[in-house]
Amino acid sequence: MSIRPPDMNPGADAALEPAAPPRRTPAKSLWGRALQRFAGDRAAMAGLFIVAVFFVIAVGVWLGWWGTQWSQTGAGQWLGPSTEHWFGTTILGQDIFQRAIFSTRTAFEIGLVVALASTVLGALFGALSGYFAQTFIDGVILWIKGVLDSIPFYLFVAAVAFALKGNPWAMHIAMIATFWTTTARLVRGEVIKLKNLEFVEAARALGLHPLVIIVRHIVPNTFHILLVQATIVFVAAIKSEVILSFLGLGIADGVSWGLMIAESTTEVMAGHYMNFIVASSFLFVLVMGFNLFSDGLQDALDPKRASR
Amino acid sequence: MSIVQNNDSPLLSVENLSVDFSTEAGCVRAVDDVSFQVRPGQTLGIVGESGCGKSVTSLAIMGLLPHPAGRIAAGAVRLRLDGPDSVDLAGLPERRMRRLRGAELSMIFQEPMTALNPVFTVGSQMVDILARHERLSRRQARDRAIEMLARVGIPLPQKRIDEYPHELSGGMRQRVMIAMALSCRPGLLIADEPTTALDVTTQAQVLEQIVELQREMGMAVILITHDLGVIAETCDEALVMYCGRVVEQAPVDALFRAPRHRYTQGLIEAIPRIRRRRLERLPVIPGMVPDLSALPPGCRFSARCGHASDRCRAEQPALESHGASRVACFHPADPT
Amino acid sequence: MELLQYTLRKLIGGVPLILGVTLVSFTLMVYFGPDQTYELLSKNPTEAEIAELRSQLGYDQPFWLRYGNYLSELARLEFGYSDSTGERVSSILLRTIPISLALLAPGFVLGNVLAIVLGLIAAWHRSGWIDKAIMGFAVVGMSISFLVVIIAFQVLFGVVLGWFPVRGWNVHNLPSYLHYVTVPTLASVFVALGYNTRFFRAVLVEEMGRDHVRTARAFGASALAILWKNVLMNAMIPIITRVMFSIPLVVISGSLLIESYFGIPGVGKVTYDAITSGDQPILKAVVGLTAVLFVFILIINDILYKLVDPRVSLK
Repeated sequence: MSIRPPDMNPGADAALEPAAPPRRTPAKSLWGRALQRFAGDRAAMAGLFIVAVFFVIAVGVWLGWWGTQWSQTGAGQWLGPSTEHWFGTTILGQDIFQRAIFSTRTAFEIGLVVALASTVLGALFGALSGYFAQTFIDGVILWIKGVLDSIPFYLFVAAVAFALKGNPWAMHIAMIATFWTTTARLVRGEVIKLKNLEFVEAARALGLHPLVIIVRHIVPNTFHILLVQATIVFVAAIKSEVILSFLGLGIADGVSWGLMIAESTTEVMAGHYMNFIVASSFLFVLVMGFNLFSDGLQDALDPKRASR
Repeated sequence: MSIVQNNDSPLLSVENLSVDFSTEAGCVRAVDDVSFQVRPGQTLGIVGESGCGKSVTSLAIMGLLPHPAGRIAAGAVRLRLDGPDSVDLAGLPERRMRRLRGAELSMIFQEPMTALNPVFTVGSQMVDILARHERLSRRQARDRAIEMLARVGIPLPQKRIDEYPHELSGGMRQRVMIAMALSCRPGLLIADEPTTALDVTTQAQVLEQIVELQREMGMAVILITHDLGVIAETCDEALVMYCGRVVEQAPVDALFRAPRHRYTQGLIEAIPRIRRRRLERLPVIPGMVPDLSALPPGCRFSARCGHASDRCRAEQPALESHGASRVACFHPADPT
Repeated sequence: MELLQYTLRKLIGGVPLILGVTLVSFTLMVYFGPDQTYELLSKNPTEAEIAELRSQLGYDQPFWLRYGNYLSELARLEFGYSDSTGERVSSILLRTIPISLALLAPGFVLGNVLAIVLGLIAAWHRSGWIDKAIMGFAVVGMSISFLVVIIAFQVLFGVVLGWFPVRGWNVHNLPSYLHYVTVPTLASVFVALGYNTRFFRAVLVEEMGRDHVRTARAFGASALAILWKNVLMNAMIPIITRVMFSIPLVVISGSLLIESYFGIPGVGKVTYDAITSGDQPILKAVVGLTAVLFVFILIINDILYKLVDPRVSLK
C-alpha cells in the first residue's frame, strides 16, 4: 500500500502547472540528499561534533600544543584533582589529564590507520571477488575470508603479536587482517549488483582492462559502503585496543586509554578511581560520538533503513 | 439518503471518514471525507487507480492502518452487531477490535504469495483463527477447516491442510485465504484486489467462488479493485474514488449505462471492447494523478478534465444525489 | 539418509576451511612462534646440545614437513603433553572446557534471549518512544568497553558492596557456582545486549513489515501471537546464524578476557598462557578444535535452517 504510487514521479505535479516555477529542485545526487538528511539528524550532528572536538585535541597533540607532559613523573602519588592536576595523578605521580589528552592522539592513530588500511583492503578484495564472482579468484578470496573469520579474534591478535616479536605494528596488522573481511563481503555484494549495470557493460564493451573498470568505475560507486564501514572499523579498533592493552598486546610506546585502564586495575582495588574514570569516560564519549555519527551516516545514505 | 431504499438498515456505514498519513514530505490526507453504506448481503465495489485511497479506506475500516504513519483524522465507521446497536470501529480499543477481526469482519488481500505465514501449515493457520474466535477445540477446528477448504473448491482438503503455503499454487493460496476469511462466518468481507495477482483463468474462478459463497452465507462484500470489468461482473453498487475522495456512487447498471462523472466516463471508455471490429486507439485520460501532497484547490480532477471551468479549478464540488446516484461534479454528464 | 549424505558432503566441503585455519595458526603460532630451545636447556648449553634439542623439537625440518606433521597429529587427536606443565593436553582440555562453558553459558543464553525480547518490544513499538529508549540504551551499551564494564562491576559488586568474590573459581555446588558466576555473567550480558538488541531489532522490524503479519492482524491475532508466530518464527534464520556463529568466538575470546581478569582457570586462560609461553601442544589442540567446531557449526546451522523453515532443502 503506498500513498504515492510509483507512476507519480516528482516531476508529475510540475507538468500539471507548466506556468508555475518548479517547486522541487531536480533530483539531487545520493550524496547531496544524504548531506541534507544528515544535517537534519540531531543525534548524528551531535556525534559529528564530539568526533570533531576529539580530532582537534588529537591534532593539537600532534602539533605539540598540549599533552606534552604525559610521562612526567614529578608530582606526588595519587593526588586528588586540583588546579595544577585537573584530574589528579597516577600511582607514579603522572598527570591523568595530560595522559588522557595524549591518549586521544593514540586512539586516532590506531583508528585511522586500521580503518584506512582495512577499508582499502576490503574494497580491493571485495571488488575483485565481486567482479570475478564464481571464478577461481573469487573462490580464493572467499576462502581467505572464511579462514580469517574462523580464527577467534583475540587468539589471532595474540598469535600475530608474538609471531612479529615486539614489532610496534603487530596490533595494527592483526586488526587490519581481521577487519577487512566484513567490508569485502559488503563490497562484493554491491559489486555483483553494479556489474550488470549499463555503465559497467559499456566500459567492458569498450575493451577496458578489468582493473581499470574496477578502480575507475566500480569502486567509486561503493564509497557509501566504504565510508560507513570505515567508521565502524574505527570504533572496533579503538575498542579492541583497550582489551589488547590489558592483555599486554597493545601499543609498544606512548600511552593509550587502554593502557591507562590496564594500569588502573590495581588502583581501583585500592580505592583510587580517577585514572579509571577519566580514561573510560574519554573512551566512552569518543566511541559514543562515533557510533552516533556512523548511525546517522547509514540512515542518511540509506533512507529505507531510517524509515524502519 | 437514496441508496438505502429497502428496509434493511445498513450493516456498515462509513461517515465522513478522513485518513491522514505522515510522510517524509509532510502530512497528506489519503482519504478525504468519504461516506458510504453497505447493507447485509450487498456487494459494493470500490474502484479507482492505485493511490486513490481505496485500499487505505479498507485498512481504516479494519483498523489496520500502518502505525504510527497513518491515522483516522475524522469520521466514524459504524458496524451493526446483533440487534439494532452499532459500534464505531474508529474509536474502538484494540482489544475489542481484535475480537471483531476475522469473526465479524474479514479481509482478503492482493498477494496470495506473501499473505500467508510461510513457516506454518495451512491447517495450523486456519485452526488458530477458529480456535481464537469460535472457542473450538483443535480437533473440531481442524474438521471445520477441512470443511471450509472443501467449500472453496480445494481438492483433497484432508491432504492440503497439512501442506505449507509454498507447496500451493497462487490460485490455491487465494482460495485458502478465502477459506480463512470465511471460516468464522463474518457479516462483512473486504476483498482488496483479490484476483489482481492471479492469472486470467484463475481470476474468473476465484471471483465466481467469492460470489457463490456470498450467496450461500449471505454476507456483505466490499470488493476493491482497479478493474471495472470485475465490478460489472460481481457488484450491486459501485463507488468511484479519485485522489482520496468519492467522485461518484451509483448502482452498477446505471454506472455503466450512464456514467455521470467525467472521470468515471473516462475509465469506462478506456475498457477495451472486443466487439469493436476496427482496432482503434483506446481513449486515455490525459495527464497524471496529482500528488496527494500538492493537490489543486478545486476539483481534484479539474486539470485532466475536458469540461473543467474556472469554478472547477477554484472550488471543490460536493457529493450530491441525482436519482439513485451521487456525483461530485459541477458539470455532470446527462443521464441518457 | 538425506541428512547423512548432506552431513558427509558438508564435512568434505569443510576440509579447505580446516586446512586454512590450521595453516594460518601453524605459521603464526608454531613456525614463527616462540623458540623454546633456550628455555628447555640448562644454562650455558653446548652447540651439540642445542642442535640435538632443535632436531628433537623439529625446528630443523622444512616448513611443509613440519606442517604435515602438525596436521597428522591433529588428525589423530594426538595432542601430547603440555610443554610447560607436562600434563596431558587432553586432560587439560577436559578439565578447563567445562569450566569455561559453565562460566559463559548463562551470560551467552541470557545475552541472546534478553536481546531478542528487547528487539521484539522495540520492533513492535517501532519509532515510538519505547523503541527509541531501547535503541538509545543499545547505543550506550555498544559504546562501553567490555573491560570497563568488567572493572566497574567488579568494583561495584566485589569491593563496594562486597556481595560477590572478585577473583577465582572455587565451585563445588550450586550456591558456590552462583556465587562465582554472577558478576562475570552480568558483565557479559551487559556488553552483549547492545550489539545483539540492535541486530535482532533490525531483523525483526524487517519481518514486521511482511504481508502475513497484516493478514494475522486482519484475522484478530493478538500481539503476542503475531510476535511469536509471524515475526520471531520467520526471523529464525538470521537469528540462528548469528547465535551459532558467535559460539566459537564467545567461547575463546570471551573466556580469554573474563578468565584472565577474574583469574578463572578455563580454556581461554590456558590458551592465552600457551600463546605467551609458546606451549605448542596446547595451541595445536585449541586451534584445531576451534576449526573443527566451526565446520560443525556450519553443518548444524544448515540443519537448524531446515527445522525452522519448511522452504529450506538440504540439497
